[in-house]
Amino acid sequence: MSESASSHDSPPAPTIAGDSQTTAANESDTNAKCQTAIQSLSSIVTTTTIPSTISLLLDDSAVSAAISSLLQRPDSGSGDNNLCRWLYDTFQSTEPSLHLLVLRFVPLIAGLYLSRVPLRQPQAGFEAVLLALYAHETTSRADQAVTVNIPDLSHPSIYHESKGPAKNNSTCLNIAVVSSTLDPHGTIRESTRRARIVGVALELYYSEIARMPRESKLDFCGACEKWAGQNGETRAGVVPEEEESVAVARSEKDGGRIPLPWELVQPMMRILGHCLMGMKVEDREVKEAASKACQSLYLRALHDINPKAILAAGSLLRLREMALDPKNQIDHTEISNDNVLSV
Amino acid sequence: MLGDQSSELSENNGESESPTLRLCANGACMKTTEVEAKLDEGNIQDAESSLREGLSLNSEEARALLGRLEYQRGNVEGALRVFEGIDLQAAIQRLQVSAPPPEKPSTKKKVPREQPQQSASQHAANLVLEAIYLKAKSLQKLGRTTEAAQECKSVLDSVEKIFQQGIPDAQVDTRLQETVSHAVELLPALWKESGDYQEAISAYRRALLSQWSLDNDSCARVQKDFAVFLLHSGVEASPPSLGSQVEGSYVPRNNLEEAILLLMILLKKFNQGKAKWDPSVIEHLTFGLSLCSQTSVLAKQLEEVMPGVFSRVERWNSLALCYSAAGQTSAAVNLLRKSLHKHEQPDDLVALLLASKLCSEEPSLAGEGAGYAQRAVNNAQGMDEHLKGVGFRMLGLCLGKQAKVPTSDFERSRLQSESLKALDGAIAFEHNNPDLIFELGVQYAEQRNLKAASRYAKEFIDATGGSVLKGWRFLALVLSAQQRFSEAEVVTDAALDETAKWDQGPLLRLKAKLKISQSNPTEAVETYRYLLALVQAQRKSFGPLRTLSQMEEDKVNEFEVWHGLAYLYSSLSHWNDVEVCLKKAGELKQYSASMLHTEGKNQNTLLTTLLTSLCINMLIFDESSVPCKVAVGALLSERGKEHQPTLPVARSLLSDALRIDPTNRKAWYYLGLVHKYDGRIADATDCFQAASMLEESDPIESFSTIL
Repeated sequence: MSESASSHDSPPAPTIAGDSQTTAANESDTNAKCQTAIQSLSSIVTTTTIPSTISLLLDDSAVSAAISSLLQRPDSGSGDNNLCRWLYDTFQSTEPSLHLLVLRFVPLIAGLYLSRVPLRQPQAGFEAVLLALYAHETTSRADQAVTVNIPDLSHPSIYHESKGPAKNNSTCLNIAVVSSTLDPHGTIRESTRRARIVGVALELYYSEIARMPRESKLDFCGACEKWAGQNGETRAGVVPEEEESVAVARSEKDGGRIPLPWELVQPMMRILGHCLMGMKVEDREVKEAASKACQSLYLRALHDINPKAILAAGSLLRLREMALDPKNQIDHTEISNDNVLSV
Repeated sequence: MLGDQSSELSENNGESESPTLRLCANGACMKTTEVEAKLDEGNIQDAESSLREGLSLNSEEARALLGRLEYQRGNVEGALRVFEGIDLQAAIQRLQVSAPPPEKPSTKKKVPREQPQQSASQHAANLVLEAIYLKAKSLQKLGRTTEAAQECKSVLDSVEKIFQQGIPDAQVDTRLQETVSHAVELLPALWKESGDYQEAISAYRRALLSQWSLDNDSCARVQKDFAVFLLHSGVEASPPSLGSQVEGSYVPRNNLEEAILLLMILLKKFNQGKAKWDPSVIEHLTFGLSLCSQTSVLAKQLEEVMPGVFSRVERWNSLALCYSAAGQTSAAVNLLRKSLHKHEQPDDLVALLLASKLCSEEPSLAGEGAGYAQRAVNNAQGMDEHLKGVGFRMLGLCLGKQAKVPTSDFERSRLQSESLKALDGAIAFEHNNPDLIFELGVQYAEQRNLKAASRYAKEFIDATGGSVLKGWRFLALVLSAQQRFSEAEVVTDAALDETAKWDQGPLLRLKAKLKISQSNPTEAVETYRYLLALVQAQRKSFGPLRTLSQMEEDKVNEFEVWHGLAYLYSSLSHWNDVEVCLKKAGELKQYSASMLHTEGKNQNTLLTTLLTSLCINMLIFDESSVPCKVAVGALLSERGKEHQPTLPVARSLLSDALRIDPTNRKAWYYLGLVHKYDGRIADATDCFQAASMLEESDPIESFSTIL
């Protein structure tokens, strides 16, 4: 998680905390773990060749696509599913690069899982993976809520001066909870905790979002749209002649609509914010997918009359609009084009 | 070929008409055409020498000028070639040597120095620094961002070395300042583009924490860019170094804190007129603060925005969203009333829907809310037609709530059936909305159409996969109203399985009551004990940081549990236990009508007079409380057996209670008693009959507790 109440900055991974003496041992240990993961994956994904190292595997779009299509099979989430078992085992290995490999598929898993809940099919496989992520976060947060101190400008800060009383201001800060304390004994069988557990998995995903490939982000935007379940409605007004086909499409998509409590909406918004404004390289496809997802969530927020979600999604949409406005695309670091050049 | 020539010609013509690009230095000027031709041939040497001759420049100056010419012509590759021909590092070293030695370090910046030498060295410095800067820009345009960042960084490093005491404010060369500002702004952007996020963070902080004499607008841009980076990059910035911290000042610990701080500072600058208003800042702040659920802070920020930036309706509507998200309903409703006034924007759909939703939560506002909802339904057209369903849904909720306000029976049943009609209308638009299904179910239940209610309750649980606690509770209540207690208990147990221990309170309370209804007091006591342990554990460990329980509004309070337990013991005639429980409850809440009622039953007639007066005091505080009225009415009617004069008071209280809640079984029962003691046997029979009929369809807890 990016914000923390206590001391941790990123999920502490025991394996990289070792001192110099154990580094060599750790390295071979790491290699062994990675090799095991690669080998067992090659018995599951048979349609394409598995690269020989984890770093190659992370960027291998063919393997990702193969895993994605396996995940999208109708029976993919069951308890005896090999792929789910592999994802679970791989995440349990506490190896950071293997964690990334699993996190990459969080959007797909969460998306399928929550949308399939009303279908009442067994999803123990997905549940195991999601619970592993939840348990990991529970341990690394050590029973602390993730909080933020809302600054009060009447006190000076590193970025501004203030004539206000410069006394110790820690007492009068306004503490906001970004993510509440995790209940360590959560199981997904308790269906009322489902949204929270998936929400925490999304928080974990967000903490590594800068290292996630674009396809994973596209998967996420797709999941958001499905969850919001507002697809038909945006188009209905624009193209009335397609009313019937829209109606068909809508009923197909009905299956995906899920209740969206704040514990899900909040991490969703942060991920979409990243897709819209935080990516290193301009990626039009991701941006467009994210703004479509935002649009759907905004409409959903209107349908739910959820003021906080209206504010958050609305601000992202307006920012997107502003960014597209050519008048805001001036490069302020460009020199002025004088007609007279002088020394 | 011909076409090419003609276009070239016209370009030339254009150039001769518009002010031509000229190169000027040392009092001489020359046109660029000749030099450009040489550059186009790739002959940098020749171009340079013609500049040196024409403008009496040295080699470095000539090159710098050529580079700028190439850059401005859009030939970045050419510019790069020219710049690479200058030994910039050597030039910087020369400048460092010639720069004045450090003077008194205490008087930063504002030391007047010998004018000519200063401006000469500034001039030379700018020549070199601008060249490096343009080199960085050229590299950036060629996509070589890491190299560009390194060049750009060297501009800033050089500035720090050459002007160790900062650039003198008073006589700073404007072009030098321009170059420095540009470089400060460009550097973090370049690191960001190259993917080196840690360097980007330190470049942003360096830009903001060191003295670069940035003008307000560019400083504001850097602050905003940094805030956006912190909010969205997904890379955690380590807290700022200790060196930059002043004692007692606020130091952000993480990205969100730092971003919110920067955005708030920006907003303050705008408000003080120190920087040009940038509409994206308030949007970023909206995003950041709503993520932390701090919309009341956001409201404060919005209120401070200078008038004229937003239209007042826009401001009122945003504020209303903030206040309603922060739970300050009445503030939000007041704002919406203003913005929906007929002279403002009476047709704004979002405002109408929000207003109707807020009103639907409050019986006294429900009528007003129904009006807003109706207007929303009428205005949901075209692109917004999909919101018509939401309008109908709100209309249904408002009408249902309105039916609870004291009014005639006729009016009540009209409102109830209108409410159902509206909700049915809504479901035609949103057949897949579980919330709507739930509300429809509750509406049916309130009208005692238990069959329909139980169908919707089941549908809701299916649609939400059992993930919403209130669905389970609702089904159990409906079953209890159908007097199917054992089934209700099965549902409650299933719900307990689906719920984390921490959130089980309301379910346990329900279960205890179900046990009582099934005449199983021992198990009920057991369940109550379990519930007590839970509630007390929660009281001890509920910090402000543990929130997000699904039943936030419906936390079981400890008083209620003690009271329930006391009632249970009194039915078992365990008077000692009753006393203990009541004492415990009394510690939590001093006066409570229903508690006094139990106590009254316990000690029977001894204290009733005193109790009655206490109850009446309570009623003064809480005029509309039905349970209170019924409790006092019950006390008075029981006392009325021996003391006739209390009966009229009891009668009016109970009738009052029934006007508000006509399905209150106890009120009917005690009203029957009053009639009986007064000798109106026929009336008494009617009342008892109503009470017994209601008993057959009475849920174990009121349906209105879950909506």
